[in-house]
Amino acid sequence: MIQIENLEKVYRTEEVETKALNKVSLVVNDGEFVAIMGPSGCGKSTLLNIIGLLDEPDGGSIKFAGTEIAHYNERKRADLRKRNLGFVFQSFNLIEELTVLENVELPLIYLGVGAAERKQKVEKVLEKMQIMHRRNHFPQQLSGGQQQRVAVARAVINAPRLILADEPTGNLDSSNGNEVMELLTELNEAGTTIIMVTHSEHDARYAHRVIRLLDGEVVMENVHKQFTV
Amino acid sequence: MFTNYLKVAYRNLIRHKGFSFLNIAGLALGLTACLLIGLFVFDELQYDKFLPNGDRVYRVYTQGTTSESPESMASVPPMFATTMKQEFPEVEQSMRILMYSAISLLEVGDKKLYIENGLIADSTFFDIFPLPFKYGSAAQALDAPASVVLAEDVAKRFFGDENPVGKELKMNKQTLLVKGVIQNNQSKFHLKVNYVIPLSAAEIPAERMSSWGWQQFYTYVRVKPDTDIKQTQAKLQDYITQKVQPLMPKDDPIGFVPYLQPLQDIYLHSANFKFDTGPRGNITYVKALSIIAVFILLIACFNFVNLATAKSVQRAKEVGIRKTIGASQQQLMLQFLIETVLLTFISVVISVVLASLLLPALNDFTGKDMSFNLLTNPVVFLLLVVLTLVVGLIAGFYPALVLSGFKPVKVLKSTVVSEGMFGRVQWLRHGLIVIQFSLTIFLLISATVVFLQVNYLHTKDLGFNREQIMFFPMRGDNMNRSYETFKNELAQGPGISSVSIGYGFPGDAVAGDQIIVPKDGEQKLHSTTHLMVDYDYIKTLGLELVNGRNFSKELTTDKSQAYIINETAVKEFGLGTPQQAIGKTLIWQRLGPSQPDSVKKGQVIGVVKDFHYKSLYDKVEPAVLHIHPDDYWKVAVKMKGENISQSVAHVKDVWGKFSPDYPIEYKFLDENFDQMYKAEDKLKSLLWIFTGVAIFVGCLGLFGLATYAAERRKKEIGIRKVLGADVSTIVGLLSKEFVKLVVVAAVIAFPIAWLVMRKWLEDFAYRIDIPLWVFVAAGVAAALVAFLTISYQAIKAATTNPIKNLRTE
Ligand SMILES: Nc1ncnc2c1ncn2[C@@H]1O[C@H](COP(=O)(O)OP(=O)(O)O)[C@@H](O)[C@H]1O
Ligand SMILES: [Mg+2]
Repeated sequence: MIQIENLEKVYRTEEVETKALNKVSLVVNDGEFVAIMGPSGCGKSTLLNIIGLLDEPDGGSIKFAGTEIAHYNERKRADLRKRNLGFVFQSFNLIEELTVLENVELPLIYLGVGAAERKQKVEKVLEKMQIMHRRNHFPQQLSGGQQQRVAVARAVINAPRLILADEPTGNLDSSNGNEVMELLTELNEAGTTIIMVTHSEHDARYAHRVIRLLDGEVVMENVHKQFTV
Repeated sequence: MFTNYLKVAYRNLIRHKGFSFLNIAGLALGLTACLLIGLFVFDELQYDKFLPNGDRVYRVYTQGTTSESPESMASVPPMFATTMKQEFPEVEQSMRILMYSAISLLEVGDKKLYIENGLIADSTFFDIFPLPFKYGSAAQALDAPASVVLAEDVAKRFFGDENPVGKELKMNKQTLLVKGVIQNNQSKFHLKVNYVIPLSAAEIPAERMSSWGWQQFYTYVRVKPDTDIKQTQAKLQDYITQKVQPLMPKDDPIGFVPYLQPLQDIYLHSANFKFDTGPRGNITYVKALSIIAVFILLIACFNFVNLATAKSVQRAKEVGIRKTIGASQQQLMLQFLIETVLLTFISVVISVVLASLLLPALNDFTGKDMSFNLLTNPVVFLLLVVLTLVVGLIAGFYPALVLSGFKPVKVLKSTVVSEGMFGRVQWLRHGLIVIQFSLTIFLLISATVVFLQVNYLHTKDLGFNREQIMFFPMRGDNMNRSYETFKNELAQGPGISSVSIGYGFPGDAVAGDQIIVPKDGEQKLHSTTHLMVDYDYIKTLGLELVNGRNFSKELTTDKSQAYIINETAVKEFGLGTPQQAIGKTLIWQRLGPSQPDSVKKGQVIGVVKDFHYKSLYDKVEPAVLHIHPDDYWKVAVKMKGENISQSVAHVKDVWGKFSPDYPIEYKFLDENFDQMYKAEDKLKSLLWIFTGVAIFVGCLGLFGLATYAAERRKKEIGIRKVLGADVSTIVGLLSKEFVKLVVVAAVIAFPIAWLVMRKWLEDFAYRIDIPLWVFVAAGVAAALVAFLTISYQAIKAATTNPIKNLRTE
């Protein structure tokens, strides 16, 4: 699904130059659940954002399903995002002016899906995420766990092939966190590829494989015992 | 998708109430001002558009070639109409109106009323101006000399609701037959018409009517369709130089060039014409108001841009999320534009309501009868729709571009989105604030200069005393014949200090003619104003004699052989000093060289200080005062001011004794004078009102910006306070930036305002020098207003407990 070779990203500010990613290479296969770990500032989010086409690399190659996407223009990026990707963030990133239902519905609107079909799909997802009863609430009226469930619902509504999650449990307590991890696992089992950034060894255990970053470089890849054949 | 946009737009509006209020209020106010100005301007542009074939009608006017600044004269000699009709094949019809401004007494049975604005016109009047008739018909209405056509409301005053056609009416004791009644709705006609009588009734000798020098007629021509009017005008000018000039006597050549003015230009483009008549607008003021409207709209739009970009920080996250989900920049732009258009739409609705509420006041103020009804006027409706879209798009485009251009990683990653991320926005915002303040300062300076000039017009020492002078024309044969006894009886009344009878009082009509000044064996002709006065003129008006003496009843020669001249005449006639002028000879040929009996030859016996007998638009011209009872017409009664009403009652009593047939109609001279500056008075008020609106709208925007600035720097302020900064330091910190912008704006506005206002003042012969303090005051006022607006937020920010702000981070 994702093939990355010698990916580089450099941030330049007036005084300093930070090499956020230094010749990173990795492959994520269809149907995999990969966790990316490493200390704060090592480049995890940068990597995830480049994979998610939210940011551009300064060098190297990144292929999505065999197509080079490193230098896609803005329109193509938006298109790829809305068709194939779903995002889950640590800070939920729901739109405060929209209700739960409207937030979840939004990707379908951008995809140009008709109202009737939208309604049907949204209700299905909300049922699944057990948030249907709160569909007309605004994000501020929900608990953190509930908000993240809405975010996950929004991420999966367009049936993406790849879900990118940046510390999805970072702002949640352990029981809410586990719930979200269960959701992701379920999605993965249903066939969706997942790349997740996390600080938590506990969460990383849900993944098939852990990629460790340090100072912008891949230092180790280990496969969890339970998934070794 | 659309409903989603509207939904978000609506919720944003509600969520950020303060922001929405500032935006809507500013825009609504600005639009209201624009709507009202727009209505006014539109109305001013409607004059004479209703007349069939009006686009083929032209007025002949002349421009002087002799004086240095050629003056345009609305009245021309009678031969123009005759010649153009006869010798110019493209001229279909011509028509003259006699210049004659007297008020006439109309009588029907016992009803006697003075009616102004009667026209004495060629019988082709209704051919050139096909005004709609209520009774009778235009055909042959003016063919017989003793005919009159009345305006509807005049007819009503005499005849009630019955049809007066065929009835008799007396004008100044002469019997006329009513031939028709024209409908009342001529509010957009460049002439005020209460009645029309045929020129043939005036019985002007044919010899006079064939004159090329007697500039006494407003002359109109209608040309055939597709006439090249430039060519006709050139032809007319050639005709004057080639055919007419050779006929003229050597010492009295034609001193003008004729021009053709389109009928529909007359109302707005004749402000500086001499001897014009009828209601007139002024294109300068129409333009000035239009520019102000654009200024106000710009200020309101800029507010919008500034507030929206300032607020964009708050919406950055939303943009990031939407983009992450897959929204394209175009979709986001559309979303933000829809929001702006929605806000604009609400503002437009409010402004329509406000404008309709304020329209009666504006009508009252301008004496107009404007209406705007959305339902009956699809043009207005369409205009509003277009306005909504245009303003919405102009104001919304840039913020939409900025907002939709946010990079999602940037705005989603950082917990605090800072302004610094969008560097160009700051520049633009500062640029717009500078423009807003430049416009405001420009308006402030203009309004102040206009105020000072108008004030000057009203209060300038005119060289005579215009207070408490009752002023009226004499009426009836008896009064005219025994004017001396009339005058004596008036003067005996209580509280009356002196009475003067003559022709040529300040603010009223004056006569102009030539005078001969013999010098070095030559007879030099000078154009001059003739003031036909009596022995008490100087005393009544409080004129100051700089040399020589006043006319004296004891010296019989003073009546036939004495002149008093003003200082300008001394200079223009080349008589040296006022002292040297005394004793010099002047010769007036009242009826021309062919009538030696009418020649008045006399000496200068005195010199009066220059006084402004015309408006301050005009330079004081050379004036000659002499005793000339033949032309006595107007009466000025100077009162002591102890008991005016008693004095007025006395004047009325005496009037009744001498002219019981005529009711008295009087004014006071100062009113007469103030009337001359009505247009400027209105301009002054309108300028102040709209400058106020502009400032207020600008302040709304500034207030919003200050709110955001304080909000943005909450944490910084908190830290500074913890470190020991006091309130004034922090207020200074927050205000400094804005006040700096005002200074830049002032630097831009000053020279422009100076140039524009100097140009405006050039129209006045007597004008103020723009004082330096006007600029200082405008700059300081703008800075002060800015500072006060901002300091409210700054003080609020500076006085909050710092711990609160630091904790919320
Ligand atoms: N917009 C930026 N400008 C400058 N430096 C940045 C920017 N974003 C990230 N960095 C730097 O790049 C490095 C990697 O950041 P990031 O990918 O966010 O780390 P992580 O998510 O692993 O904590 C850090 O040193 C960070 O300071
Ligand atoms: Mg991170």
